[in-house]
Amino acid sequence: MKQLTIALAGNPNSGKTTIFNDLTGARQKVGNWPGVTVEKKEGRLKKNGYDLKIVDLPGTYSLTPFSMEEIAARDFILNEKPDVVVNIIDAANLERSLFLAMQIVELDRPVVFALNMADLAKSKGMVIDTEKLSLLLNLPVVFTVANKGKGIDDLIDTAVNEAESFPDGKKGRKVIYNREINSMISHLVEELDRDFKELIVYPNRWTAIKLLEDDKVVKENLQQISKERAAVILKHSEEFRHRIEDLFQDDPEIVLTDECYGFIAGIVKETLLISSRKKADISRNIDLVLTNRFLGLPIFVFFIWVMFQLTFSLGAYPTDWINSGVSLFSSFLGGILPNGLFKDLILNGIVAGIGSVIIFLPNILILFFCIALFEDTGYMARAAFLMDRIMHIIGLHGKSFIPMLMGFGCNVPAIMAARTLESRKDRILTILITPFMSCSARLPVYIILAGTFFGDKAGSVIFGLYLTGILAAIASGRLLRATLLKGADAPFVMELPSYRMPMFKSLMIHMWDRSRMFLKKMGGVILVGSVVIWALSAFPRNITFSRDYSKAIDTIKNEVSSQILSSKDKTLKQKLKNEARTKIAEIEKKREQERASKSYIGQIGRAVEPFFKPVGIEWRSGVSLIAGLVAKEVVVSTIGVLYGVGGKTDPDALKNALVHSGMTGLSALSMMIFVLLYIPCIATVTAIWKEASMNWAFFTLFYTTMVAWSASFLVYQTGLLLGFI
Amino acid sequence: MMNIRHEQEIKQFRDLFTGEGVDEFENRFKILEVFLRIEQHVTIEELVDHLRQDKISMEPDFVEETMEFLCKFGFASKLKLNNGPVRYEHRHLGCHHDHMICTKCGKIIEFRDEALEKQQVQLAAAYGFHMLQHKMMIYGICSDCLKKRELIISLARAKQGEHLKIESFAGGRKAQMRLASMGLRPGDIIDVVSTQGGGQSVIASGAKRFVIGQGLSRKVMVKYTEDSQSFGCHDIDDSAGVKPVKLMLLSEMKQGQEGIIARVGGHGVLRRRLLEMGINRGTKVHVEKYAPLKDPLEIIIKGYHVSLRVEEASHITIENIVRENNS
Repeated sequence: MKQLTIALAGNPNSGKTTIFNDLTGARQKVGNWPGVTVEKKEGRLKKNGYDLKIVDLPGTYSLTPFSMEEIAARDFILNEKPDVVVNIIDAANLERSLFLAMQIVELDRPVVFALNMADLAKSKGMVIDTEKLSLLLNLPVVFTVANKGKGIDDLIDTAVNEAESFPDGKKGRKVIYNREINSMISHLVEELDRDFKELIVYPNRWTAIKLLEDDKVVKENLQQISKERAAVILKHSEEFRHRIEDLFQDDPEIVLTDECYGFIAGIVKETLLISSRKKADISRNIDLVLTNRFLGLPIFVFFIWVMFQLTFSLGAYPTDWINSGVSLFSSFLGGILPNGLFKDLILNGIVAGIGSVIIFLPNILILFFCIALFEDTGYMARAAFLMDRIMHIIGLHGKSFIPMLMGFGCNVPAIMAARTLESRKDRILTILITPFMSCSARLPVYIILAGTFFGDKAGSVIFGLYLTGILAAIASGRLLRATLLKGADAPFVMELPSYRMPMFKSLMIHMWDRSRMFLKKMGGVILVGSVVIWALSAFPRNITFSRDYSKAIDTIKNEVSSQILSSKDKTLKQKLKNEARTKIAEIEKKREQERASKSYIGQIGRAVEPFFKPVGIEWRSGVSLIAGLVAKEVVVSTIGVLYGVGGKTDPDALKNALVHSGMTGLSALSMMIFVLLYIPCIATVTAIWKEASMNWAFFTLFYTTMVAWSASFLVYQTGLLLGFI
Repeated sequence: MMNIRHEQEIKQFRDLFTGEGVDEFENRFKILEVFLRIEQHVTIEELVDHLRQDKISMEPDFVEETMEFLCKFGFASKLKLNNGPVRYEHRHLGCHHDHMICTKCGKIIEFRDEALEKQQVQLAAAYGFHMLQHKMMIYGICSDCLKKRELIISLARAKQGEHLKIESFAGGRKAQMRLASMGLRPGDIIDVVSTQGGGQSVIASGAKRFVIGQGLSRKVMVKYTEDSQSFGCHDIDDSAGVKPVKLMLLSEMKQGQEGIIARVGGHGVLRRRLLEMGINRGTKVHVEKYAPLKDPLEIIIKGYHVSLRVEEASHITIENIVRENNS
């Protein structure tokens, strides 16, 4: 079976991802958020005896090397040389789409144009003469309506045909520049032909144009091949750039772009017929309300409120079910497995670990569904539009709002979502401050602690914590912007796409895709982490206890059995039995407590006690914070073990234990602030490592700990001074 | 010849002043002697210095008073050049001369041109005007300064009356856009109308006047043009029929306004992004709205909606601005 590679290219919001889904049926995000597909996505399709590899390139407006997406798209076409490039053109935005198209044509691969959403364009009063367009560009043009699945077969047939007809690439109709620039291009091409035979993999005309545009990547490529020869040609291109500046009184980039748009304007004039009958722009009318000067922000806040309500209130029900399910399963396993280390590992290590992950699945699903809804309708871009002024205060892009917002759900997908930012500095800054957004895993800690110590005011305290997190993010943002990440912001210039009716299928794919990513990435790490923490708390096995618990238990048993034997009353017997059971349970908890305190993790806790002392966190809480590195929800279960209420977190018992342990409202508050601000979980650190760099991951470890400790110290010591206990 | 004339004047001075009964005659006489010896236009200070060189110590007030006397009796005349200090020159009876004053170094050149003198009398007569006396001062730049001066200077340093060509705009993008939005472009020929008024310069280009603050004028680099003699009366007829193009920054436009992009400024990524999104010269732009917090703004361009920050919009110059009819 013959293999062919088809690359899909196009502007953001051109319906590219929808076509990709139609072609491959793969799980793939579709969104109105500009630049949502950052990763290179592949899918396979078998058709007419061909094995087709479909690659979805990131949506870009051009192929300049200014953003990761653009570099990725360009490098793929240049280096991997797909057999055919399908360029999806938004019929309603013909002129702008053609700008990218002309750059793709320069890369000398066979190109097929998919004129998408022509029905929508027609409703706006635009009719496109495809035959003429095809003739003018010397390329096949296919009509598609991606969201209705129309024209997809035709598109594939044409693409395959084109790939087979031009196996060695094809030169389409290119932009005709004016005489001076053209002669400069041909001069540079000659020079490239002569001096840079190694570069023959790239089209020389393209390289020449890029030199005139002062493209850094291309310049570096030349320099890597040969410094001396590069110096010569770069000197020439620099001279040419000066000459263009002299001739046209403007920068070469502007001159070349103007020429390109001039060429495009000619094509558009020939092929596009705009009828006077214009249908009302529905999108514009929606925006009259949604981005209204007065209503815009309140509506936005309302949407966010609804999203949180759905995520946390509605999500609470399935969370409960899963919780009980896990407990049932755990006790079922506890019943059939023989006692011992293995059972302990399965129950407290693996099942507890997996349980702590899937318990968040409902929340994550709902949150991602809401975000997918925002993206697919086109509201996400409006959110950035509304929020940019505020985000700009921290030195961030309006787009940063989305990752930070998602941070309230889970920091890991939030950090991944930061990829939508073009500037590396903006991206790193967003990644670094996102962990201060209080993720949903921290909520159980707040609920237990605030619920126990603040009673009715728990809600306000938790709200205050979320706010503190936001303030810490803002302060850190400003600080980092002024120190480590200096520099101008990336341009905000962003398309506000037309509102679209979201497709249910696409929403589901979108939601599931992200949730799966969460489960996969998190599941593994948390599982390993849980097992490690379990091992730390389960070993060493042979602990010398301060008193002989087994003997004490035996004594009680003996006493009780003798008492039972001596008494005749049945109710009394039962009562005695119950009493004995409670006593034994009490002793067992005590043994567990001592065992935990003498385990490795207990030893670690003791070792770091001086560190936690000034912030009012005693060693048991300190240990749970260390355990919380695996996942924040582990904090609660570890507290449970260490305060002697057993691994299963019975809220009421835990509350009692906490109150009796001598923890005060103030130290609970200090602890919550620490949990809010300190090192995010291993998974988040891993995500930072992968998305930013190892150094930034370590920076996060250090920085967050410092911030958390300082904040808790401030709160605790101030509280002590003011006389709160 | 000079000395003979001076001899005569000293004699007259003696007669006049003794007759008038002026006090401290001897001292005043010394001042006259020194003054006549200096064949220059001197200030009081310089005169005091010269006296000191002759080991004569005198109060400046006294010297000034004496010079006033000399002026009163027609031995000296006052020259006040370009806001500078008062200078005194010899006044030789029946021996008129005119001055050329360098505005750069302050050098004064005396000249006399019979043809010019005659021309003046004829000119006055032609208007039925009886000329009693006249003063003529030509301000300009002396040959030494002309040789020394730099070719390109900032507008802030240009003197009133200069005829210049705008070479380039220095400074940041904002300053450049301000200037561009005023309608000034490199290559324009301008006249410096006035440099008075607290650092502001008034310049004229064609038939239009511009007022430029000191800060901004430092950022306009200008070059001296060849025809420095033509004083601002050019092109008026040509430009009278042309409607001036009104330029504005996109960031200054109001909701609902439309215009054509005249220039896309900015650097690197921003400029590139603007261009690739289709925000290029000659494109029609409609300001749809500003965000609730006044930043960013939404525009419609090439049939689609784009949002950009106000700061970014300030890099884009718009011309032919109209307000939408239906709003």
